[in-house]
Amino acid sequence: MREIKTVTILGANGAMGSGSAGVIAAFGGAKVHMLARDVEKAKQGIEAAVASVKTDTIRARMIPGSYDADLEKAVAESDWVFELVAESYEVKEPINTRIAKARRPGTIVSTVSSGLSIGRLAKAYDEDGQKHYYGTHFFNPPYKMILCELVTHSGNDKKVTQALGEYLDKVLGRAVVYTNDTPAFAGNRIGFQLMNEVAHFAEKYADKGGIALMDEIMSGYTGRAMGPLATADFVGLDVHKAIVDNIYDNTKDEAHETFKLPGYFQKLIDAGKLGMKSGGGLTKVVKHADGKREKFVYNIKTGEYDPYPKFDITFIKEARQKIKDSDYKGAMDVVKKASGFEADIARYFISRYISYSLSLVGEVVDTKENTDGAMGFGFNWVPASAFVDFLGGPKETIKMMDESKIPVPKLLKDAKEGKKFYELGDKLDARSLFKG
Amino acid sequence: MSEKVFVLGGEQTDFQRNWTKEGKTFMSMMREVLDDALEKVGISYDEIKRLNKENRVAVFVGNFDAEQYANQGHLGAFLTEVNPALFGVPGARYEAACASGSVALDAAITHIRAEDYDLAIVLGVEVMKTVSSSVGGDFLGTAAYYDKEAKGVQFPFPKLFGKLADVILERYELKEERFMDALAEISRINYANAKRNPKAQTRTWFMNKEHAMARGGDNNMAVGGRLCITDCSQVTDGAAVTILASKDYTKEYAKKTGRKVDDIPRVKGWGHRVAPITFEAKKQESVGDKYILPWTRQTVKDAYKRADMDVKNIDVFETHDCFTSSEYAAISAFGISEPGKEHIAIEEGTIDFGGKKPINPSGGLIGVGHPVGASGVRMMLDLYKQVTNTAGDYQVKGAKNGLMLNIGGSATTNFVFILGK
Repeated sequence: MREIKTVTILGANGAMGSGSAGVIAAFGGAKVHMLARDVEKAKQGIEAAVASVKTDTIRARMIPGSYDADLEKAVAESDWVFELVAESYEVKEPINTRIAKARRPGTIVSTVSSGLSIGRLAKAYDEDGQKHYYGTHFFNPPYKMILCELVTHSGNDKKVTQALGEYLDKVLGRAVVYTNDTPAFAGNRIGFQLMNEVAHFAEKYADKGGIALMDEIMSGYTGRAMGPLATADFVGLDVHKAIVDNIYDNTKDEAHETFKLPGYFQKLIDAGKLGMKSGGGLTKVVKHADGKREKFVYNIKTGEYDPYPKFDITFIKEARQKIKDSDYKGAMDVVKKASGFEADIARYFISRYISYSLSLVGEVVDTKENTDGAMGFGFNWVPASAFVDFLGGPKETIKMMDESKIPVPKLLKDAKEGKKFYELGDKLDARSLFKG
Repeated sequence: MSEKVFVLGGEQTDFQRNWTKEGKTFMSMMREVLDDALEKVGISYDEIKRLNKENRVAVFVGNFDAEQYANQGHLGAFLTEVNPALFGVPGARYEAACASGSVALDAAITHIRAEDYDLAIVLGVEVMKTVSSSVGGDFLGTAAYYDKEAKGVQFPFPKLFGKLADVILERYELKEERFMDALAEISRINYANAKRNPKAQTRTWFMNKEHAMARGGDNNMAVGGRLCITDCSQVTDGAAVTILASKDYTKEYAKKTGRKVDDIPRVKGWGHRVAPITFEAKKQESVGDKYILPWTRQTVKDAYKRADMDVKNIDVFETHDCFTSSEYAAISAFGISEPGKEHIAIEEGTIDFGGKKPINPSGGLIGVGHPVGASGVRMMLDLYKQVTNTAGDYQVKGAKNGLMLNIGGSATTNFVFILGK
């Protein structure tokens, strides 16, 4: 792989395009061709890039351009072409054809797709191009979210993969997770499994508290900053649908049925209620005349929005206090011993999350450190392996999985008792991801 | 004194963490860091219980301002909240502004030297993200003469160290461009070093020489005279522990852990001097002296004398780079260069990670972060790592002896320790 001195960004005005360009120009010190539909949009992308990494020093080496006028020339002089145009084969394939024609041998080409097949997109290229074609799945906003899923396909060369991985890690400061070319890769496959199944449970328990209750049960003490349904509302229900539909259509694993989009999600999407970006979805915030803001939550049964309720669930309060005191094992002991249907649900989802994360090792990733990294750096969720340690080790975790009727992955069955299961400790302190 | 006090190791928290955002407090921080430190060093709470029965263990807590940041005093007693094994263990909190960690270390070292205790747990802690930066800036003003130097001043410390930069420039008749370039290089080195340190606050931040040189504007605002954001260390939440021991206990410990006493580093020298508290008084007092901070230089000399060493014996330095100007002045205080010629040492790469006299391989306060009461203890921990060859990616090759300088206020309280094998 040649040294990366010049980069072309396609989709330079989008949040991901400008954010990624900022990282590449700043950390990589690269000259960056910022391409968009027109030069004005590209210029906006440059300003957004400067703002994202907070340094004016990159402005001078970012060159605005348009696809029509500048693509071939920019690609021809680039060492890396990073394509971030809309997430569909219809848009990406014709652009790849143009890139393929203009590209010099040895130039890396990558896409930020979060779900499309990298192998299929690579088909636009000759043998050298396929060897140098990757998925580089950055997360938003790129400067703050340092995860990069480096997605390989069968046509790649291991030496090029290694060199690109080192560049992303050492030069751009990314937490690189190597994944295979599978639907939604690692982070989204695991994250959206949990989010979508929690959404189903919200429907099942709609009369007991629905959406708000499920987010309360899966709140900070289970190792995340935001409830799973609040996350779905944040990313947008349309994006959520695209990801789970893709996984549902293209995988057949133990959690297959959990990827079916809940009916009420579709209903909300059809009504244009896509989440926070459209002013409302699973929740909405209303600003009253006196300036006070009030939060509401969608009632799955009635289709109305109710005031967001407060809950008083004893074991959750106890677990939160333990987390607040940095007694993480104590908090998990509370969860393990608590009774009531809310505690059963918490144990079910913690078990499901660990089980599903570890079950993907072998298919989506080669080692559990990759799924752990994807969830820790990409979602800010406590990684599955760390959970195993906080729960008291493999035996205790298996016991909880058995009681929740969740399959036990082989990796966990084979794990040695008394030895730390989580191995990213020096890179990512999992304790910091629990919220008290 | 070099056969009296040994350092067995310790641990620090990840200085990138924001404990308030996590819903946790200074107390949770103390619990995590002490548990981690004991695990790393290989000393159990049962062992502490055993030593306590014989009154052989004590704890020393370095903290600057928990009263204001966390509405809590009496921090010396708080280790009892970490574990009941610490009930009855003598403990107190020590305060000397940004040198709070060092005054705690000094107390621990003194007690061990006097053979009062065999084991000393030194814990530095500060939670700072509980308030906005301007409120925090005002709290930090109490480390200066508040009424005269900080009252009503926004961010008083950058301004005081900005004045230090002014005095350096004037007194040594330096070319401004060359001097500012040297300060930017200090910033560049600290940030670059921090990238290798997995516990550093800024390890994922963007910074290079070009950005450090681009002073002014929204992205690198002026905060104190010539000094801009890139010249400053950043406040953060953090705690660090180092565990010190007497020779007798070190022998027991070495036997138990299969180590050799000779492989365990010892405190070889120390210095402690207090300069006039106001910056103006310091400036006046130094007129006619080769050094702008003569008491800082004297502290280093005291430590060298006690250790029977000189700059030539020191392989690695950890210094108090609260601002680039403080690190600049420290270079001559250490004896790495003549006063007024610090910029030459910087330009020649002497203090860089791969240089002859590397300063702050950890990233220093600028790179690692500056949780005030924890910084001195963190520096000692970093010297321990360096001289035991356990600093991982930021290990200075072949480091045998290290020196730390920790200052409180505008170079008012000066502490120096030398650690080596």
